Amino acid sequence: FGLEAGSWTNAHQPIFSVDIHPDGTKFATGGQGQDSGKVVIWNMSPVLQEDDEKDENIPKMLCQMDNHLACVNCVRWSNSGMYLASGGDDKLIMVWKRATYIGPSTVFGSSGKLANVEQWRCVSILRNHSGDVMDVAWSPHDAWLASCSVDNTVVIWNAVKFPEILATLRGHSGLVKGLTWDPVGKYIASQADDRSLKVWRTLDWQLETSITKPFDECGGTTHVLRLSWSPDGHYLVSAHAMNNSGPTAQIIEREGWKTNMDFVGHRKAVTVVKFNPKIFKKKQKNGSSTKPSCPYCCCAVGSKDRSLSVWVSFGGKRDLTLNGLGILVCSMDGSVAFLDFSQDELGDPLSEEEKSRIHQSTYGKSLAIMTEAQLSTAVIENPEMLKYQRRQQQQQLEQKSASTRETGSATSVAGVVNGESLEDIRKNLLKKQVETRTADGRRRITPLCIAQLDTGDFSTAFFNSIPLSGSLAGTMLSSHSSPQLLPLDSSTPNSFGASKPCTEPVVAASARPAGDSVNKDSMNATSTPAALSPSVLTTPSKIEPMKAFDSRFTERSKATPGAPALTSVTPTAMERLKEQNLVKELRPRDLLESSSDSDEKVPLTKPSSLSKRKLELEVETVEKKKKGRPRKDSRLMPVSLSVQSPATLTAEKEAMCLSAPALALKLPIPGPQRAFTLQVSSDPSMYIEVENEVTVVGGVKLSRLKCNREGKEWETVLTSRILTAAGSCDVVCVACEKRMLSVFSTCGRRLLSPILLPSPISTLHCTGSYVMALTAAATLSVWDVHRQVVVVKEESLHSILAGSDMTVSQILLTQHGIPVMNLSDGKAYCFNPSLSTWNLVSDKQDSLAQCADFRSSLPSQDAMLCSGPLAIIQGRTSNSGRQAARLFSVPHVVQQETTLAYLENQVAAALTLQSSHEYRHWLLLYARYLVNEGFEYRLREICKDLLGPVHYSTGSQWESTVVGLRKRELLKELLPVIGQNLRFQRLFTECQEQLDILRDK
Amino acid sequence: MAKVQVNNVVVLDNPSPFYNPFQFEITFECIEDLSEDLEWKIIYVGSAESEEYDQVLDSVLVGPVPAGRHMFVFQADAPNPGLIPDADAVGVTVVLITCTYRGQEFIRVGYYVNNEYTETELRENPPVKPDFSKLQRNILASNPRVTRFHINWEDNTEKLEDTESSNPNLQSLLSTDALPSASKGWSTSENSLNVMLESHMDCM
Repeated sequence: FGLEAGSWTNAHQPIFSVDIHPDGTKFATGGQGQDSGKVVIWNMSPVLQEDDEKDENIPKMLCQMDNHLACVNCVRWSNSGMYLASGGDDKLIMVWKRATYIGPSTVFGSSGKLANVEQWRCVSILRNHSGDVMDVAWSPHDAWLASCSVDNTVVIWNAVKFPEILATLRGHSGLVKGLTWDPVGKYIASQADDRSLKVWRTLDWQLETSITKPFDECGGTTHVLRLSWSPDGHYLVSAHAMNNSGPTAQIIEREGWKTNMDFVGHRKAVTVVKFNPKIFKKKQKNGSSTKPSCPYCCCAVGSKDRSLSVWVSFGGKRDLTLNGLGILVCSMDGSVAFLDFSQDELGDPLSEEEKSRIHQSTYGKSLAIMTEAQLSTAVIENPEMLKYQRRQQQQQLEQKSASTRETGSATSVAGVVNGESLEDIRKNLLKKQVETRTADGRRRITPLCIAQLDTGDFSTAFFNSIPLSGSLAGTMLSSHSSPQLLPLDSSTPNSFGASKPCTEPVVAASARPAGDSVNKDSMNATSTPAALSPSVLTTPSKIEPMKAFDSRFTERSKATPGAPALTSVTPTAMERLKEQNLVKELRPRDLLESSSDSDEKVPLTKPSSLSKRKLELEVETVEKKKKGRPRKDSRLMPVSLSVQSPATLTAEKEAMCLSAPALALKLPIPGPQRAFTLQVSSDPSMYIEVENEVTVVGGVKLSRLKCNREGKEWETVLTSRILTAAGSCDVVCVACEKRMLSVFSTCGRRLLSPILLPSPISTLHCTGSYVMALTAAATLSVWDVHRQVVVVKEESLHSILAGSDMTVSQILLTQHGIPVMNLSDGKAYCFNPSLSTWNLVSDKQDSLAQCADFRSSLPSQDAMLCSGPLAIIQGRTSNSGRQAARLFSVPHVVQQETTLAYLENQVAAALTLQSSHEYRHWLLLYARYLVNEGFEYRLREICKDLLGPVHYSTGSQWESTVVGLRKRELLKELLPVIGQNLRFQRLFTECQEQLDILRDK
Repeated sequence: MAKVQVNNVVVLDNPSPFYNPFQFEITFECIEDLSEDLEWKIIYVGSAESEEYDQVLDSVLVGPVPAGRHMFVFQADAPNPGLIPDADAVGVTVVLITCTYRGQEFIRVGYYVNNEYTETELRENPPVKPDFSKLQRNILASNPRVTRFHINWEDNTEKLEDTESSNPNLQSLLSTDALPSASKGWSTSENSLNVMLESHMDCM
């Protein structure tokens, strides 16, 4: 066989693990880095082909990650190849995923010129083990990830929902040093220093059997005990067993866990066993007849005697011969060797289908696993369902190819942020970056975000222009089904030949003798003084000080004064700033605090002399900046009910507050001003100008109202002073002294004779043809001017403001004439005209929102950008769920319940607000969550309501539309979502059929 | 694991007269939203003899830091020459950029700085009292020395310390595993010397 040495694989640090990517194009190594653990992803082709190795254009190292704080003991690719899990001495498991849009980068300060060709990012950090993580293993179909540790436990993680823990397997009384899954998913086996090998059931995560006999004689320890299960499931082969004082690899039969056979021949303890994941068959070549033999497996055994043996089992007979396969071995001397075997030696690998056929015939259909993963082997009953599943895969493929294209042009993608090249940004960064002073006078720089990370979380980065790949949920779900349904995996001979590798020293294969590296080291050492020459030449006296500097580079300063001050800065104020992602504004902290209850729209740093209306204008522009783009729906203009100046702030607040429990509710009244301007909308540009008491005609003072809409101007006069004005694209209205309210069309025609308000105006607002007036007596009225009807009639705010000293911080009138009050305590109520009730639609302190975690159900990043009244009221509370998951480790059931409750609240709130766009968004999200989590009853109820009665009946109360959306259309949108989970195929089929019947009618 | 990785530091305005402000363009990446600001500092080592002569040129808070890749320019005034011993004014010294989170330093980037007279005459016969206005500062930008420290990134302080204290036992257990325990320790100084060697070769 051919033997090639990966002499370029690097340094002298030990490598403890290696794993080949399922598609055979790359492999990962894990081990010790300079001052951290190190995971490196390598290109496979230079290993396989000598030409590629010599070609300097073909990168050898694809990516290196030094995020692990201590030595990496194990790296494992998921079966789908999408993820890489690594575990190390820092007690952590990191799950990596390839990021597609960020260009090459280097590990700063380390090896200088080596660029990362591929970008792999940590998407999950799994913290639970209290000791070094020794081995990690993905279950078949990637539903679970298992890890074992020197804390004597094995932890089973839910790979669909990291970092959820499904089970902690306790029972070992020594360091657990190896894991292997049964290829059909019924068992997981672990081997530990306690001289036992334990097999656990995946059905209930309980111990199936503990095997100790072959290990009784074992003395001494090995770094790892990596056992392996044969791909046909028949045999489990242990590491480090003893038979007649000789080191062996024990073969354990699945049938009754018998231990009659072993691999003998190594002189020292066996540390690692690895089966080739393929099952082989071989055509007999002796003689003319070529009859295929029984399928067989082959496995490699590595030992502390620094040798490696490769074995093939012929149908379970004791006929075991040394034979060949492609194999990668890594060693403590930091080298990786590749052994290449021809297909003749190897035999022909069976396809995945044949393999699963063997599994099925041996073990029957669907065993213990009842996860979605296993469901992928279920028979698809409905052709439509199949279509959806296929389409899903198609999309995934497209996405994949798109992402590969993207990486081709990665630099250009990364190089442009918001249409500005990175170079331009860098040129002006110092001038452009936002620098403020904190309350205690310290400089604070807001960093410029140049890229988001596609960690699956919705990140709050400032720029949205960078394309993001699909959500974690989507890819994860489909990754389960793809191996079974798509026969496209590993069809190249290379990937067959290259078996999953093993670890530990193998001297025969290692290309770099240990002495070599020692030599190099000493050479470096001797030439070190010379290295200092350029600077030393001019200042020879400085050689000593250079050494003295060494400690400065590496020793952390003992105390960092100023840091306590940092933490003492009022957390609430700081968090608020962060929450709002306010980048453009500086606010003195004390002011912010004093007004922190009046939401984000209170302009505080402005001089007090400015008029209130002007302030509002400013607020609007600030808001636009904050969102990074102009809001599309200018009709939904939140009006700030805020105060004129900081000085009057407290007085105003008191006025707004409820000082006595009963009718004393009093809202602030705008004072008369000489003139003011109000911007109604920017697109189309429309503004109102008011000039009070401008002309005197016969002793009567007149006030002028001017309106300019896209250059077209009209004006009219009123007899009393105008206190406040409001406008929309349809109407302009002004409130004057003497409680008069006048309404004009957009062309300046008076629509109604003046309305007499019950008490002086506090706030006036227009949306579409709706006019809303909030009076000083805290009553609210909404009229539809076009239809000339009252929507809300003098409704008191008493019920929502009563009880404590709350103020209205923001008022909103939706397109459908629904008034919404944002209160200073973070709650928001909308008035439901049909029920005549105030409904709670948002609560900033809502603990549900804090705990809900529905990230996995988000269809894509931009879904969070769903805009509408609900989004405006609630603001973007994006990362709360994630926070929750991290801060309190809530049991999954609780998490599910809170998430459900939260999503239901959102759906109901959107419905109450009659915001069809948001209703659709939240309904789909809710449905997707139900699908993902498998809540059938609620899902069924939704479908039933959306479908309505199939056969027309007169007694039916069913409405065919909801907030202007056709329910059955919604159901059609829902179907592909339901189709994602094979568990719901009955429901899918039912709905599909009924919709078909309805369509045919 | 560290939530913040420094991707790159670019030394701007280099070389430059001694009195020019220091400018570093720092690119870093954060894997999760940080609940607190990062604090960056530039420390000028006035003399190799003693930390006494260290000058914190400036400290700046950087935030808010959501998950993602970010950059900013850290500018700080030149060191106060009055605090630098005359003997150390000319020659090689060090400037350090440190970053702390919750008061814990997690990264330290060090550069050698060479202060030299540009005029040949001054170079040959340096005045006893250094003339800082004639000095040129040259930061060896190609050769950063990066040291990372393990810190607690989480809010829950007690828990991590607990696990930390149980660690020694486990370590001692492990060391019986015939591991090259030296390789698992901090071997920074030696390695970074090697790195230095390489980049100095580049200069030549």
